[in-house]
Amino acid sequence: MGSIKRISKELTELTESPPEGITVELADESNVYEWNVIMEGPEGSAYYNGKFLVKLSLPTEYPFKPPTVSFATKIYHPNVTNDEKGSMCLGMLRADEWKPSSKIAAVLQFARQLLSEPMPDDAVEGRIAEQYKNDRGRYEEVAREWTRKHAC
Amino acid sequence: MNALSADEMERFQKLSNSYQPDVQGPLVSTKQSSHSIALDYSNADPTLATKTNALAITHPECRIMKGDGNCGWRAVAFGYFETLFALRDTLRIETEIRRMKSLTTLLERVGLSDSIYEIFVDATEEVLNRTHAAIQNGAQDESFLVDAFNEGYCSDAIITHFRILTSAWMKLNPNRYQAFLPMPLNQYCSSRIDPVKTEIDEVGLQALIDGVIEGSGFGVEILYLDRSEGDVVTPHQLSSNSPSGATIRLLYRPGHYDILYPVETLNMAPIVNLQYGMTSDYSPWDQAALGFDVNSSLMAIPNLMQDTSFGMGAPMSPMPSVSPTPASPFRMSPQQDMYQSPMPTHAPIPPIPVSPPPQIAPPSSAPPPMTSLPSRSSDGPQIRLNPLVMKPNLSRSLPATTPFKNSPYNQAHFQNSDFEPIHWEPHERR
Repeated sequence: MGSIKRISKELTELTESPPEGITVELADESNVYEWNVIMEGPEGSAYYNGKFLVKLSLPTEYPFKPPTVSFATKIYHPNVTNDEKGSMCLGMLRADEWKPSSKIAAVLQFARQLLSEPMPDDAVEGRIAEQYKNDRGRYEEVAREWTRKHAC
Repeated sequence: MNALSADEMERFQKLSNSYQPDVQGPLVSTKQSSHSIALDYSNADPTLATKTNALAITHPECRIMKGDGNCGWRAVAFGYFETLFALRDTLRIETEIRRMKSLTTLLERVGLSDSIYEIFVDATEEVLNRTHAAIQNGAQDESFLVDAFNEGYCSDAIITHFRILTSAWMKLNPNRYQAFLPMPLNQYCSSRIDPVKTEIDEVGLQALIDGVIEGSGFGVEILYLDRSEGDVVTPHQLSSNSPSGATIRLLYRPGHYDILYPVETLNMAPIVNLQYGMTSDYSPWDQAALGFDVNSSLMAIPNLMQDTSFGMGAPMSPMPSVSPTPASPFRMSPQQDMYQSPMPTHAPIPPIPVSPPPQIAPPSSAPPPMTSLPSRSSDGPQIRLNPLVMKPNLSRSLPATTPFKNSPYNQAHFQNSDFEPIHWEPHERR
C-alpha cells in the first residue's frame, strides 16, 4: 500500500538525517503508524535542556489525513493541553488544512519551533496564553520549573 | 440571543472545527439519466427548471460526483481517464503514461522530493495501466474506472497528484494566474490547491486544465447552470483543444461539479449505417451486436473511401446482416430493377437508364413482402423500397442522411483525413 511506502521512506530519511533536536523511532517495530519522538527543548527557550517524549500517530489514510502530535511528557505551554493527552494544536494538522505533500519532518520541526515561539492567539490553554502575553517572566519561571521536574 | 459563556463558546468552536458534512452517495456514481437533475429543479426557479429540462435533452446522461470538496478535481480526473478509455487507443495511453511521468519534473522544480510525490504518480500510472489492460481485454464499459475512483486510497492519490501538479504548474507560471488571485500565488496554492478537500475555484480549474489536461489533447467544456438569461445552460471552453474532438464535459452548479454526456458521444464509435440509401425506417443498430468489426469491414469495401460519391455506388451490401463481400448476390443485374439504385454507378456495372415511376410500385401501395434474404425468387429480390430511392436527383440529397453525414468516416466530413467536399457535376445526373 502506498501509505506504508511513504511512511517508511519518511522514517528512513528522518533516521538517517534527523533535524536538529529531534530523534524518531517506532514505538513498536511492527507498527509504522505509531512513532516515539524525542524533542529537545530549543536553546533560548524556557524548555532548554528538557527532553520531551512526543507521540506521533499516523492514520491509516496517511498522507490524506494528518498525523496527530501529543506530548507524553508534561509541558507548560499555551498550545499543548494541560491534561493526560498533552495534545498539540497545530493549524497545519487540522483535517481541513492538511496537505498530503507535507512531510512529517516539517510537522516535527514546526512543533519544535512552537516551543521557542508559542502562539498565544491559537492557544488551547487560555490561562497560560494570557500569562504568556501579560506576565512573560512568571510564565517562563513555571515552564522552566515544569521542564526541570518532568523533562530532565 | 443570550450571550454564551466562554465554556459554551469553546464547545461550539470545537463542534464547528470537527464538523464533517454528512454527504451521501458514492464518490463517483454510475452513468444516470440527466432527468434526475431536471427533477431536482422542477420546483425551483423557472429559469433553472427550463435550463435543466433542456439539458436533459442535449445531455441525456450525467455522472454525479460526491460533494465532499473534491468534486471538481474528481470530475476532471475521472473525465480524463474515461475519455482516454473511450478512445480505445492503447498507443495513446502509452503516450499519456510517458507524459504523466514527465510532468514530475514540474514537481521537482518546485522542490517536492520523490519520496513525497511518488505514491501519487504511482496511483495515476496504475489506473492508466488498468485502462490499457481494459482496452486490450475488450472491456465493455468503464465500470473498472468507477470502481477505482470509489476506492478511497486510489481516488485520493490521483486527486492529490492532480492537485500538486496544478500547484507546481501555477508556481512555475505565476504571470498567467497572479492577476486573477486575491492573494499572493504561493499563499493561494498552499491554502486553496494543496490542502485536502478544498474545493476547486475557477482559477484553480483553469490551471488544472492548462497544466495537466491540455497536453492530452482533450477539450474541456463547462456548462454553467445558473439563473442568467436564456433557456439553456451556458457552455464555456476551458481548453484550447478542439471541442469537436474528445472532450470532458462538466456541469457546474454553484459549488459543485458533475460530468455530462451529450447525445453525440453516447456511442463513441462512429455511426455508420450500412443500409444507407435502402430504407428510411432503419433503427440505429448496435455495433456490438454485429459479428464483425464495422470499420474494417467498411474499409474492405473497394473504392469506398476513394469515391467521392461513396455510399451510393454499387459495392454496398444492402443489409448489414449480410457479409459485405463483393460477390454478394445482391450485386445489381439488369433484371433487378426493383432495387437498382438511381445513383451514378461505377464499373463493373454499366449504367442502366431508369425511368423511376412506371417501374416501381407507388409508395402508397402495399410493399411487396420481404423474403428471407439469401434465398430469393428467381425473378429478383423483393424488397421494400425507400421512397427516397425514387427521387430523381438523389445524388445531392442522399449524403444528408444525418448519422452518416456526421461521421468522420464520411469523406465529405471535414474531419476525414481525405476530406473532399461533395461536388455536384451535371454529367452525373441522370
